[in-house]
Amino acid sequence: MIEIVNLHKKFKNLYVLKGINLEINKGEVLVIIGPSGGGKSTLLRCINRLEEPTEGEVYISGIRITDPKVNINKIREKVGMVFQLFNLFPHLTVLENITLAPIKVKKISPEVAKEKAYELLRRVGLVDKAKSYPSQLSGGQQQRVAIARALAMEPDVMLFDEPTSSIDPEMTKEVLEVMKQLAYDGMTMIVATHEMGFAREVAYRVAFLDDGQIIEYGPPKEFFDNPKEERTISFLSKIL
Amino acid sequence: MDFNWSIFWESIPYLLKGAALTLRLSLISVGIGIILGLLLSLLRISKIPLLRVPAAIYVEVLRGTPLLMQLLIIYYALPSLGLNLGAVTSAIVGLSLNSTAYIGEIFRGGIQSIEKGQMEAARSLGMTYLQAMRYVILPQAFRRILPSLTNEFVAMLKDSSLASNLAVTELLRAGREIVAWKANVFSPFIGVALIYLIMTFPLTRLSSYMEKRLKTSD
Repeated sequence: MIEIVNLHKKFKNLYVLKGINLEINKGEVLVIIGPSGGGKSTLLRCINRLEEPTEGEVYISGIRITDPKVNINKIREKVGMVFQLFNLFPHLTVLENITLAPIKVKKISPEVAKEKAYELLRRVGLVDKAKSYPSQLSGGQQQRVAIARALAMEPDVMLFDEPTSSIDPEMTKEVLEVMKQLAYDGMTMIVATHEMGFAREVAYRVAFLDDGQIIEYGPPKEFFDNPKEERTISFLSKIL
Repeated sequence: MDFNWSIFWESIPYLLKGAALTLRLSLISVGIGIILGLLLSLLRISKIPLLRVPAAIYVEVLRGTPLLMQLLIIYYALPSLGLNLGAVTSAIVGLSLNSTAYIGEIFRGGIQSIEKGQMEAARSLGMTYLQAMRYVILPQAFRRILPSLTNEFVAMLKDSSLASNLAVTELLRAGREIVAWKANVFSPFIGVALIYLIMTFPLTRLSSYMEKRLKTSD
C-alpha cells in the first residue's frame, strides 16, 4: 500500500530524515514514536508531499508520488491528514468544514456531501455540533471534527501527526477512541504519537524514529517488552 | 476672517455636487483597487520570480512617487502618446492604479497573517492552491483586512482631492471655484471641510469598531 524507499529530507542546514525505509500494507496501523525533533512530522509530511523529499521515493498504491509529474492533488484526495493543531477552518461551521473538500474537489452534490458529513459526525459523536464553529468546541471535539473532515474524502490512508499532543489530557481519550475504531474498521494508518497505550493496543508495527533514522521497528509486543537498541530502551524508560 | 453665512449656504448645493463626484471617484477607484490589488497580492506572494518581481516593482514605484505626479502624468503626458482619457477618466485611472498598490499590500499582509496550517489542511484535502486561496485563506484574510480597507477608502476620499488639479470638479475644486467667484475664502472652504468630515467620520468610527470586534473574536 505504502512504500517508502531511502527517504532523505534536508532543510537548509538541518538534516531531518536520513534514509528511511518503510512498508505499510493495506489495513495496517504503523505507529511512529520518538523524541520531538526526531523527524516524525517531517516523515508524515513527505508522504503527502507537504514537504518535498530531498531524495528517495514514496509509493502509494503502486504510484510513485515523488514523481514530479504526478498530480499531487489527486494523490492527496486519497491520503487524509490530521494535524497536531487541528487546522479546522475557523470561518466555516463544523458541517461546512467537512463538506467543503468533497463539494469543491470531488464535485459531490451538496446534499450528498451533507448526508455523508452527518454520518461521519455520528461516527465521531458530534452530530449536535454540526452548526457550531470550531472556536466553540473543545480541543478534543475539534480534533474529532478534523478526523471526520479527512474521512469525508474517503481516503485509502490516514496520516496522524501527533493528534493528541495539543489536547487536554482528559480529552485525549475521546480522540484515541475514534482512532481505535477507525483502525478496527480496517483503515490503513500511520500515526506519529506519544501515546504508548495506543501504540501497544492498536499498532501492527511500531517504529522508533530518532535523529532522522529508524532505530527500531517491530510488532508492539516485542517493541515494548523486549526492545533491543540502547536508544529505544533509554527513550522508553523516560516516558513509560 | 471673511466668513459669511449667506455665501456659506449658497455654496452648499454646488459643494454637494462636487461631493457626489468625490464619492463616485473614490468608490470606483477603491473598487478597482480591490480587484486589481487582490490579483497583485497573489503575484506578490508567488514563488515564481517572473510574477513576483514585477509586482514588487509596481508596488515600490506607485507607493514611492507622489500621487499628484502620477495623476499629472496620466492627464498631461499620456495624450502626447496618443492616449487622451479626459479628466474624470484620467483621475479614475490614476487613483485606481495607486490604490491597487496600497490595497495589494493590505491583501498581502492579510493573506500572510493566516496561519500556515490553514493552507496545509486545505491542500492535504486535495484542493489546488487557488481553491485553497479562494475557499479557505481569502475569506479569513478579507475579514481581517476590512478595517484597513475602510481606512483605505477614507484615505481615498481625501486623496481624490488631488484630482482637482485635473479640472475635475470634485469637492475641493468645487470649493475653490466658489472662492474665486465670490472672492471669499472661508465660507466655501468651511463647507468643504464639513462635507469631507461628514463622509469620513462615520467610516473611521466603523473601522475602529470592526477592529475592536475582530480583536475580541480572535
